[in-house]
Amino acid sequence: MTRAQIIATRLALLALVLGAWELLPRLGAINALLLPPLSQVLTTLVELLGRASVQEAVTVTALEVIVAFVIAVPLGALAGILIAENDYLSEIFKPMLFYVFSIPKSIFLPMFILVFGIGFQQKVAYAAFTTGFVVLMSATAAVESVKPDHILVARSYGATQAQILWRVYVPSMLPFLLETLRISMIFNFTGVMIAEMYASRTGIGHLIANWGENFQMPQLFAGVIVLSAVAIIFNEAVRALEARCSTWRT
Amino acid sequence: MQHLANVTELKARLEAPAIEVEGLSHVYAGPDGGVKALLDIRLAVGKGRFVVIVGPSGCGKTSLLMMLAGLLQPSQGTISCLGRPMPKPDPQRVGVIFQEASLFPWLTTLDNIEFPLSLRGMPREERRRRSAAMLGLVGLEGFGERYPHELSGGMKQRVSIARGLVQDPPLLLMDEPFAALDEQTRMTMGHELLRIWSTTEKTVVFITHSLTEAVYLADEVLVMSARPGRIIDHIQVTLPRPRSYEMMATEVFGQLRERIWQQIRRAP
Amino acid sequence: MSRPAPATVRWMLLAVLLVLWEVVPMTGLLPELFLPACSKTLSVLYGDRHIYGAALLVTLYEVACSMLIACGLGILAGALVGGTALLRDLLLPVFSSLYAVPIVILYPIFTAWFGVGSSSKIAFAGIYGFFPVMLSTAAGIRTIDPQFLLAARSMGATLSQQITRVIIPASVPTVFAGLRLGGALTIIGVVVSEMLTASAGIGYLVTLNRTILDSPRVFAGILAILVLSIAYYMLARALESRMVVWQSAGRQQQSSAGVSTAAVPAPAAA
Repeated sequence: MTRAQIIATRLALLALVLGAWELLPRLGAINALLLPPLSQVLTTLVELLGRASVQEAVTVTALEVIVAFVIAVPLGALAGILIAENDYLSEIFKPMLFYVFSIPKSIFLPMFILVFGIGFQQKVAYAAFTTGFVVLMSATAAVESVKPDHILVARSYGATQAQILWRVYVPSMLPFLLETLRISMIFNFTGVMIAEMYASRTGIGHLIANWGENFQMPQLFAGVIVLSAVAIIFNEAVRALEARCSTWRT
Repeated sequence: MQHLANVTELKARLEAPAIEVEGLSHVYAGPDGGVKALLDIRLAVGKGRFVVIVGPSGCGKTSLLMMLAGLLQPSQGTISCLGRPMPKPDPQRVGVIFQEASLFPWLTTLDNIEFPLSLRGMPREERRRRSAAMLGLVGLEGFGERYPHELSGGMKQRVSIARGLVQDPPLLLMDEPFAALDEQTRMTMGHELLRIWSTTEKTVVFITHSLTEAVYLADEVLVMSARPGRIIDHIQVTLPRPRSYEMMATEVFGQLRERIWQQIRRAP
Repeated sequence: MSRPAPATVRWMLLAVLLVLWEVVPMTGLLPELFLPACSKTLSVLYGDRHIYGAALLVTLYEVACSMLIACGLGILAGALVGGTALLRDLLLPVFSSLYAVPIVILYPIFTAWFGVGSSSKIAFAGIYGFFPVMLSTAAGIRTIDPQFLLAARSMGATLSQQITRVIIPASVPTVFAGLRLGGALTIIGVVVSEMLTASAGIGYLVTLNRTILDSPRVFAGILAILVLSIAYYMLARALESRMVVWQSAGRQQQSSAGVSTAAVPAPAAA
C-alpha cells in the first residue's frame, strides 16, 4: 500500500470508531449512561476546560509531571552512566535491574504517603522514584550502545577524554537519549496519574477518579480523551525529533 | 555466442540431458519496466556432469538456480529437469543447497537431515536409517544429536548437503554453498564435495564467485555476463579426475582461470 | 585484597538492607510509622496468614485471568500484525502511538462498567498487558530468518507445513518472552487496580491498612507482592532457559530499531 492509501485507511478506521461511539449509545445499542455519545463527551470537554477548578487541577498535574521529571532524569542518568561505565558495578547491578522491573512499584506508594503525607511532595517523590529506574536502565543501554570500535579509533587518533565524550559518545547516544526522554516521560506521566488517583486531593488524576466514583461518565471520558491526546501529542513530537536526529541509524 | 552448448550437445544427443533450458529470460517487476535479470539463456547439462556457473554479482545466476529449483517461474522460456518441467519444488528430483545452511536451530543434526523426509510422512525408522547414512557420507558420524549452534560453519554446510542428498535426488543445485567459509575450509569442503559426488552419479550445478573453485570442481564452466545475464562462454575443464590440490599449481589450471577472468572482465 | 564476586556483593547488599530494616526502626532513627521493623512485619504476616493467603488467592486468580487476555490475545494479535505486511504497515504505528497513553486513566471507566469486583481488575490488567505483549511479539516475529522458509519450500513443504514445522518452532522464543512480559505486567496491573478500588486482594489489604495507619500490615502486604513478582520472574526465566537453549543461534541480528522497540515494553510502568 502506498503512503496515501495507508493514511486514508487509518482515517477511515478512525471515522468508523468515532461513528460507532456516537451512534451506538444514541441508538440504545449500548447503555448511554455507561458510554455517553461522543458529542456529549466533547461538549462536556469544552465546558470543563473553561472551568477554573479544572484548570487548577491541570496546572497541579503539569507541575508535578515536570518537577518529577527534572528530578528523575539527572539522577537516573547519572546512576545509569556510572553503572554502564564501571564494569564491576555493571556486573553487580545489571542482573538486579530485571528483578527490579518486575516489581510493581505502585506497591511502594503507601510508603511514600506514610512519609510525606498526601500532597505535592508525595506525588512528585513517587513519580520520580518510578521514573528514575526507567531512566537508569535506558541510560545504561545508551552508553553501552556506543561502539567500542569507534572509541578505539578516536583514541588511536589521540583524542582526549573530553573529545571522545563530545565527538563520539554524544552524537552516538543522541537518538537513544531522545528515546529515553520520551519513554521516561510516558512512565513519569503514568506515575503521577497513579499517585493522584490513589490518594490525592488535587490534580487531574484525582478528578478522574472522582468522576468515576460518582458515575459522571461524560466528564470521565472527557478527561480521558484530553489526557490521552496530550500524551500522544507529546510522544509523537519527540518521535519526530528523534527521527530527524537519527537518520544514520539502521 | 549463444550456441555454445557444442561439446555438451554431442553428449546430449547420445542420451537425454539432465537439464535443458531454452530461450529463458526473466524480468523482475518494478518501476520503469522492471529489472531484466536474465536474457535468452540456452543450455543443456548432461547426466552426471559437474557444471559450475560463474559470473559477476547481480548477473542473475541465483535467479537461474531458483528457476531450476522450481522456486521461481521465468517470465519467458522453458526449463526441463530430467525431462519434465519444474512448476514447483520437487526435492526428490532436484535437491537445493543454499549459501546459508539454514539449519533449523530447534532441531538436532539428524532431525535436520531427515526434515524433508518427515514432510513426506516417511516412518521414523526409515527416516533414521537414511539420515544416519547421510551423516556418515558427509563425515559427521557422532554429531547426530548436536544442535546447529554447536557446529562450525563447515560442519553446518555438511549437514546442509546431507539434507539435500537425503532424498537421493539425481540432480543437485548448489548456490555458493562455501561462500561464508574461510578459504582453508572452502578448499577442504570442495574436496569433500568431489568425493561425495564421485560415489554417486548425480548431476550437479554449482554457483560460485571463486574462479579457483570453479576450475577445481568443474567438468564444464559456464560464464555469465553482468546483468542482464547471458551465457558468454562455455569452457571444458579437461583436468583428470580425481582432482588434487597439486593441480592448482599447473599451467593448465592457470590458463583456464585466466580465460574465465578475461571473459568476465570484458563482458559489458 | 581482591574484589568479591558480583553475586556475593549482591547478597551482601541484600543482607545489609535486611539488617537496616530491622535495626533502624528499633533504634528510633525512623518512626515505626514510616518503617516498621522487619521482624514485626513478618510476625504480623504470619499471624494474619489466613487473611493474606485468601487475599493472595484472589490476586492470583485475577492475574491468571488477565494473563489469558494479555498473553493470549496479545501474542495472537502480535503474530498477525507483525507477520502480515499489510496489517503491520497499517496498524503497528498506531499501536505504538497508543502505548504513550497511561492506561491507568482507563481504570475508573472499568470500575464504572464492571463494579469493584474482580472483573474490572481482570479487564484492566488484561488491557494493560495486551499492548506491550502485542508490540513485543510483532517485533519478535520479524526476527525469524526468511531463509528458513526458503529452505523449507525448496524441500517441498506445503503452506501448512511451513507454518507448523518452521514458523511456529521459530517463534517459540518470542512467545516465551511475551509470556514473561505479560505475566509481569498483569501482576502490576492487578496490584495497581486492587490498590485503587477494590474489595479483596493483596492490593486492597495494603490500602485498607494504610488508611488505618497499620504500618506493619501495610509492609506485610508489600512484602507479599514483592515475593510474588520476584517468584514469577524467576519461574518465567527458568522455564524460558530450559525451553529455548538455541535462542541466540537461530535469530537474525536485531537492528538497533529492533532493540529499542524490544526495550520499550519491558520496563514496568507502575
